[in-house]
Amino acid sequence: MCASPFKFLSAGPPPPRVVLLRDALFFSRAVPVLATATAAEVSAQAGLALEAISPFPLAQLYYGLFWVPGSERALVFASYRRRFTVEQTEAWPAAEWVVPAFASVLGSAVAPATTIVLSSPDGLTAVHWEQGPVPSLVLHRPLAPEATDEDRLHLRAELLRAVGESRAIVDLAEPPAALPSHSDKEVVFKSGGFEATLPTSLMDGLDVRDRDELAMLRRARKRDLVLWRAAIGCVAACGVFALGELALMGAGLWQKARVLNMTAQSPLVGRIMEDQRLAGRIDDLATKRLYPLEMLTVVLSKKPAEVQLLRATTTDLDHLKVDAQTTNSGQISGFISALQAAPECAKVDIPDQRAHDNLATFTLIITFKPGALKPMPPPATS
Amino acid sequence: MIRTLRAFFLSRLLREKLLLGTFVLIAALIWASSLFGRVGRLTREARSTTLALKDQSMWLTNRTTIEEAARKATSKLTPDQTVDDTRLLSEVNAMASEAGLRKTNISEPQDVSNGQIAIHTLQLGITQADWSSVVAFYVAVRARAPYIGIEKFAANGNRTNPLLLDINMSISSVEIVRN
Repeated sequence: MCASPFKFLSAGPPPPRVVLLRDALFFSRAVPVLATATAAEVSAQAGLALEAISPFPLAQLYYGLFWVPGSERALVFASYRRRFTVEQTEAWPAAEWVVPAFASVLGSAVAPATTIVLSSPDGLTAVHWEQGPVPSLVLHRPLAPEATDEDRLHLRAELLRAVGESRAIVDLAEPPAALPSHSDKEVVFKSGGFEATLPTSLMDGLDVRDRDELAMLRRARKRDLVLWRAAIGCVAACGVFALGELALMGAGLWQKARVLNMTAQSPLVGRIMEDQRLAGRIDDLATKRLYPLEMLTVVLSKKPAEVQLLRATTTDLDHLKVDAQTTNSGQISGFISALQAAPECAKVDIPDQRAHDNLATFTLIITFKPGALKPMPPPATS
Repeated sequence: MIRTLRAFFLSRLLREKLLLGTFVLIAALIWASSLFGRVGRLTREARSTTLALKDQSMWLTNRTTIEEAARKATSKLTPDQTVDDTRLLSEVNAMASEAGLRKTNISEPQDVSNGQIAIHTLQLGITQADWSSVVAFYVAVRARAPYIGIEKFAANGNRTNPLLLDINMSISSVEIVRN
């Protein structure tokens, strides 16, 4: 990672980790297949072909194949596992793909009868296409380290003779290298002006690693992608929360303005409410008078002798609450009936009634008819 | 940029990926919890403010009607006959004395005013009063309506002498404030 996060981010993604193996270690064959075959059928057919042409069983080979759906030919290639040292295979688990170097040109768009000649320090590889997207032949010729340019030209001419007639010949001074990709669906290889693009599904087929190990690595890759998506989902949620914070800030300012408006209006509204309350109270004092003694007089006039009033309280203009007791509880119902029969009373409720030691206590709430009470006359002066 | 970050993330060891993922998840959860809490609080505050503003708007809309009602209520009163707090106290005291009520307890009047009209309310406690004195006092107060009036009334039988009453009243007076 770069020293500066900005530089790190602006540097762009690194190229996919593709390990290119020496072509000299592989042998290859073009195997005819049915154009209508499925990928699984082609894979099985390729396995059988390799078992037939290889002196080693399939389990002792690192192998891969290149087949484009609809093509009548598949290119299979393999190498004896023991040709690779432990040090060479150490880096493989960290790589996304491990393929022979010639595989990097397989994605190029070539005309029929084209040959690409790949040059490497240890030899030359010719990839020849007769027709269609799958090469018909891959040939490698080793070159001694002390070989001159003339030897190299010699070897190239011999290779071209071996592959047969070529209408176009592309020479690559060095094997193409993978470029940083903007898509997960393809890998782009480039060498000078030459460019080859391979879909990742075909790259998976070219991978020569052990099939069980590959399956494990692919599971791990899927798990890593799930982790990445979960993490990026959380980051996206944080982005939404950041927008939410801005919205909340705006809403907070709006709310503050409303509260200020409410506070500013508050004294005026308070005054209007006070005006209303005062007007109501003045109106009550002037027109709706409380007649507590008149209410009490009505109650006393109906009270049986054995009932004793304890407390009488007005709850509003038309209601009187009376607490009373009696030693003769039979008189309570008579008292209530008498009150209900009084012309001034609208109704009588008895919310509480209890008895203890032959003494019954009870509460009456008497509702008077509005305007039914007449002011009592002033007492006669002597 | 996202592909760079993705490549960086995918190239980490599994434990580092898990750690990074967990950190981001915890950060998102903490932020979500805090944000949703604040959104909830603001929503409740906004609802309450909306209700209060609606209420204020209703009062402001009815302002003219209410002020008119207050003016009408005041116009029924003669300013000279309205009673201020001092006068209320002295008049109630005088009426109680004239009615023959001896054991009285009068609280200091409490005032409610809007600047033009004031209502003064005092609590009157009477102990061991006979019925006729209470009636005399009551009639005297009633005669001062609508300037003085009884707003609450409670009577208890006296414990020592059941023929006598203990009474508590709220008596109010209205005053037109002269500026």
